[in-house]
Amino acid sequence: MRTDALTKFYGPVTALAGLTMSVPRGEIFGFLGPNGAGKTTAVKLLLGLARATSGVARVLGESPDDLDMRRRIGYLPELFRYQDWLSAREVLALHCALAGLRRARRRGAIDDSLELVGLTARRDDRVGSFSKGMQQRLGLAVALVADPEVVFLDEPTSALDPVGRRDVREVLRSLKARGATVFLNSHMLSEVEQVCDRVAVVDSGRVVALGTLAELVGGPKRVRIGLESMSAECAAAAARFGQIESADGTSIVIGDVEAARIPDVVATLVAAGARIVSVAPESQTLEDRFLSLLRKPDDVDPDLR
Amino acid sequence: MSILIFASLAIAELGRRRVIAAVGALTAACIVLTGWAFSKLHQYALAHAATITRGDEAMANSMQVILLAHMFGMVLAVGAAFLAAPAIAGDVESGVALAILPRPVRRMDLLLGKFLGLAVITIGFVFLTGGVEFAVVHAVTGYSPPHPLEALAYISAGAVVLLALSLAGSTRFSPIAVGIVAVALYGVSWIGQVADAVAAAYHNGAIRTACTIISLLIPSGGMWRGAIFNLEPAMLAFASAQVSVNPITVTSPPTQAYLIWTAAWIIAVLAGAIATFNRRDI
Repeated sequence: MRTDALTKFYGPVTALAGLTMSVPRGEIFGFLGPNGAGKTTAVKLLLGLARATSGVARVLGESPDDLDMRRRIGYLPELFRYQDWLSAREVLALHCALAGLRRARRRGAIDDSLELVGLTARRDDRVGSFSKGMQQRLGLAVALVADPEVVFLDEPTSALDPVGRRDVREVLRSLKARGATVFLNSHMLSEVEQVCDRVAVVDSGRVVALGTLAELVGGPKRVRIGLESMSAECAAAAARFGQIESADGTSIVIGDVEAARIPDVVATLVAAGARIVSVAPESQTLEDRFLSLLRKPDDVDPDLR
Repeated sequence: MSILIFASLAIAELGRRRVIAAVGALTAACIVLTGWAFSKLHQYALAHAATITRGDEAMANSMQVILLAHMFGMVLAVGAAFLAAPAIAGDVESGVALAILPRPVRRMDLLLGKFLGLAVITIGFVFLTGGVEFAVVHAVTGYSPPHPLEALAYISAGAVVLLALSLAGSTRFSPIAVGIVAVALYGVSWIGQVADAVAAAYHNGAIRTACTIISLLIPSGGMWRGAIFNLEPAMLAFASAQVSVNPITVTSPPTQAYLIWTAAWIIAVLAGAIATFNRRDI
């Protein structure tokens, strides 16, 4: 999957401003960004639901309008609805037919998908009677029913309880195990941290960071050192290694410290007369990194957890 | 293939949502009621056979059938407009289109499939209920309109014009706006036919030209004209020709050129709808 300088204007509003990225096969790719960053627009352009103002989008090497390519993808939209007068099984049968799945395979594919998302017992109930969470489970089943090579999931767990979220993570891992590519739009940073191989952070229609979680978050960036007592000499010695983020009578937090320098920090503090009781390197979280990348951190969703 | 899937889905939706059952029940009640009324009129004519000739009764029956066709055609046009108005716009607004369109289907398939499904239901409804109504009238009075199948074909064509128009609007505008506009245009097209008859009586060329333009832009009125003409017995057509203005009868059917124009109009409107829908961001 690849985009190159992909741009989309809705009238005077810039939804995407030259989005460039690529996702290799078999990867679970997380796509993060604040509201209005252009995440859903990017997915719509990749799926041919919206037309790009300029730039290139390719999925499985093909144009979004290529019908053969579309046989090989699955999609769970964020704001969706299925025909509420159909049963869950009928919705899946419809999508099997639209996806061009051979008739002989349809029944097994439908049963397997229902089993996968835990809706077997409700297979003959009308979708209109489903809760939002059950509709999201059905949406996941629809996305997966035709055994796609690439799956686009736009906020797949927004309506799910913790058990449902865990189930979705298991589904994502099983997709990866069979070689499928997953494009995951999500606000759930903890979810992304747990399952994604690589992550792109998008803001104002541009990718502002792209890489593996280790590349994005990096190693420990700060160290918290517990002391029997704090002296001015200790504080001055610590300041030579990085920014003092906090300090009180019994602990000091030094920021921007590479992990390799922590032994030097400890040795210097001991030489300055400190009696050290604990040393705790602290890693930057994805949330920390995410917030630091955004130009206006105050605009971030309060539910970013 | 996808067209047939969407067509059958549109038909199934009308069945599941009980639209077919509700309209069918109302229509059945209407047929029973009108059958009873025709039988009463027939009994009255038999009881007064000395003053009411068979020709008088046939003339009265033909007028009643034509009035029924007026009502039937109007209800059908409104129904067609409101069936097709949400066909695309509703799917886009609700999010159903988001799930369907990334599948290996062309937007054209979705649009034409919906059109086909709604057209099959509408035409089937016209011929079934119209056929039963004519049969009931014949059974209780012995009267049959001169060209019932042709009349039903024209009524169907008028409904298909409204279907195409509403479906085209549905690719761009909200369902409620499309429904109202389509019904209003149907009314304009119908009154254009009546105004044309008035203008002809008063030899007003400007009004006739305006009415011709209206009938070309919205050909549902022309189809109404064809339906009514095929329901008129020769004596009624002759009588109406002697009256300068008569809003419920017509003196001539649409020309062959106009029928070709109407078919081309439907194709062009659907082509425009496809082009609009293809450009639309979902």
